[in-house]
Amino acid sequence: MAENVTLKPPSRQTPGAFGAYAKNIGDTAKSFFEGMSVTLSYMFRKPITTQYPDRVPVPVRDTIPPRYRGFLEVDMDICTACQACERACPIQVINIDILKGDGKTTPKLRMERFDIDIGKCMYCGLCVEPCPTGAIQHTREFEGSVQFFNNLVLRFVPDPLVPAVPYKPPKGSESFPRRPLGEITRRLIVAWDAPTPPFPTKEQLEADKPKGAEAKKGALDPAALGRQLAARALAAKEDKPKLQKVLEEAMAGTDCGDCGYPDCFGYSNAIAQGKDWAPDKCAPGGADSKAMLETIIVTLKTGVLPEQPAAPAPEGKAAVGAPAAAPEPAETQGPPLAQTLPKDELYKVVLDAMAGTDCGDCDYPDCDGYTKGIVYEGQKELDRCAPGGEDTKAKLYKIMLGTKPPAA
Amino acid sequence: MQGFLDNLIRHFGHDPATWPWTQFVYLGGMALFAFAVINFAAITAGIFSWAERRVAARMQSRVGPNRVGPGGFLQWVADAVKLLTKEDLVPAEADKILFRAAPYFMMVGFACVFVALPFSHRLVIADMNIGIFFIIAVTALIVVGIIMSGWSSNSKWSLFGAIRSAAQIISYEIPGGIALMIPVMLAGTLSTQGIIRAQGGLPWQWFVFDNPAAFVAFVIYFISALAEGNRTPFDLPEAESELVSGYNTEYSGMRFSYFFLVEWGNMWVMSALATTMFLGGWQIPGVSAATLDAATGGTAVALELLSLAIFVGKTLFWVFVVMWLRWTLPRIRVDQMMNMCWKYLVPMSFAAVAFVAVWMLVVHAVPALGLVMRAIMFVLGVAFTVFFVYRTAQNIRDTGDKFDFTSNW
Repeated sequence: MAENVTLKPPSRQTPGAFGAYAKNIGDTAKSFFEGMSVTLSYMFRKPITTQYPDRVPVPVRDTIPPRYRGFLEVDMDICTACQACERACPIQVINIDILKGDGKTTPKLRMERFDIDIGKCMYCGLCVEPCPTGAIQHTREFEGSVQFFNNLVLRFVPDPLVPAVPYKPPKGSESFPRRPLGEITRRLIVAWDAPTPPFPTKEQLEADKPKGAEAKKGALDPAALGRQLAARALAAKEDKPKLQKVLEEAMAGTDCGDCGYPDCFGYSNAIAQGKDWAPDKCAPGGADSKAMLETIIVTLKTGVLPEQPAAPAPEGKAAVGAPAAAPEPAETQGPPLAQTLPKDELYKVVLDAMAGTDCGDCDYPDCDGYTKGIVYEGQKELDRCAPGGEDTKAKLYKIMLGTKPPAA
Repeated sequence: MQGFLDNLIRHFGHDPATWPWTQFVYLGGMALFAFAVINFAAITAGIFSWAERRVAARMQSRVGPNRVGPGGFLQWVADAVKLLTKEDLVPAEADKILFRAAPYFMMVGFACVFVALPFSHRLVIADMNIGIFFIIAVTALIVVGIIMSGWSSNSKWSLFGAIRSAAQIISYEIPGGIALMIPVMLAGTLSTQGIIRAQGGLPWQWFVFDNPAAFVAFVIYFISALAEGNRTPFDLPEAESELVSGYNTEYSGMRFSYFFLVEWGNMWVMSALATTMFLGGWQIPGVSAATLDAATGGTAVALELLSLAIFVGKTLFWVFVVMWLRWTLPRIRVDQMMNMCWKYLVPMSFAAVAFVAVWMLVVHAVPALGLVMRAIMFVLGVAFTVFFVYRTAQNIRDTGDKFDFTSNW
């Protein structure tokens, strides 16, 4: 419309006063005419806007580009439990709880929890990149309005009592059977606007405890396994492929590649060949893998097995890398509880023996501190519990050393 | 309406001239009609607020409010409820009495217009013999409300808006009033019903096509009415970019909505007045006013409704034009506004009056000349409309778009 009104080159002859007056009127009429015909023409066209969200021909998520970074989605069927995404996340949006097994009666790793807090996620995509199987991906879902903010947490393991078993990718496979992108997250989103469950009360938490302990039955004892593996490794010291297999057993087996080798085979082979002596590269295995590998490596280097614990109990005590496991005088009456019980159990027994007044006379802030000092930090003085008196002293000596307290 | 009440009294067996209760019946009737008219004005203003948003949206290639009720029609109810429940805020430094009273002045000035505004052949509150004069006079009352609100708000923006509005309304009152004198001259009466009766049902019988000066007067009247109603392109008193919201900046809640009620209701007033004065009002094509007067019984009711429909239809068309103009034209500057009034509209309206005066003498001497002129004007009008439709269709075609009025409402 504009070209008719303003873009005309100015005529060479300046119009007289009356000419200018008439021209103004003419211009006004013309611009009204053109302008109004343009606006009216839009009245009779289809609007270009779409009526989001419910009157669109196809869902909006299907119209946005495929590489759009929407809500994250994890296909638990091909998740190897390597936790690479959790480590990659710069703001701790992903929370994975791992339940360890012995690898025989129960899987080595299981996932009790795989939560992604979409309310916190900044959609950087750093978690997607290290995933070895492509289990974690950005979907094109983006509609995140909820009544309760806590509902924005996507739980990919719906029930912690039914932990998810990790996927074992076939060696050398390049592609993995992933479910259609968005299917899982969409199903989780459906439940979004349910009110959040209230925080559990103390009673409920107490009631839940035994269940949790039951689920943890058959959990692996890294120290015992470490010694077993170390013995086998020592036997197969010269047979490199066999040694490699033994070493790989100590690893998490997720082939995540976090160690700098392409997969678990690469890392274990490097150790077996003597090229790599670092025991702490297996990130998914965590402290347990590190302890086991350390035991094996030390054994291989020294050529002697770590000391056997005194008791022939099936749950042997950790021998390597645990300060409180220093050999204690064996007694005639049989081994003291300190040598037969795992530390966590021992802690409970010791705490039970205390007076429980939290007086602080022992120079620890409370009974809990003193117990931890005895059990974990190698505190040798067992006679500090003043409120408990002789009684507690006797109990502690019995538990820790298996002897009677020395006469005062 | 006085006749209607007189008939009612006679129906109950009294003589309105001598019955002592006549005045009380009149009073009750007045209250009833006032109630009806104010509600009519409020509801039409509400509906216009929705219609304007839908029209604006379509013209901007959007959809507009379409969620509340069918096609979003009940949006205005939702808005009214929202405004009713909002806090009625009075600024601490404001002149509290005037601040509170100003919206009512606006409302009064606006509602009084309906007294003389016809709706159909019989439906008019008071067919005064000074109808047009009364309408011009009470419309000026709105400016009192605007100045009161602007001054009492004790805010610079409000005051600027009010002063601009006063300058604008007073300026445009002159060309607007003179332009309205042309139908008065042609009809020989100030009564709104009389002016409609002087026209006919067919377009070439309307005053707008009577002669070129009458057409110019119509355009001048329409521009002045836009300016007096503070409509774009003359919405300087409420220029958001400079004055936030002008004279109603400090208002909130229901008091604020009164201002907008008046603004949207004014669209009906200016369009109904244009219809009355220039476009044949409620005249039914092919049916003379005398036939309407003589009709009785069912025919009378049917003709009455038909005349009402014709009047409302014409008025709504011009309401649409007002909205259409708003979404077409940018706001003009203050100096441009003043230029336009004093340099163009005022001289032209005087010239038009002079031309019509001479023209009436000419037609009186040679009546055939009047018919020829009406025919030429009508043909030009039709040609203009056809060309306009063609241009609009071309605008759609040129962009590769196609005509699609029905989808995506």
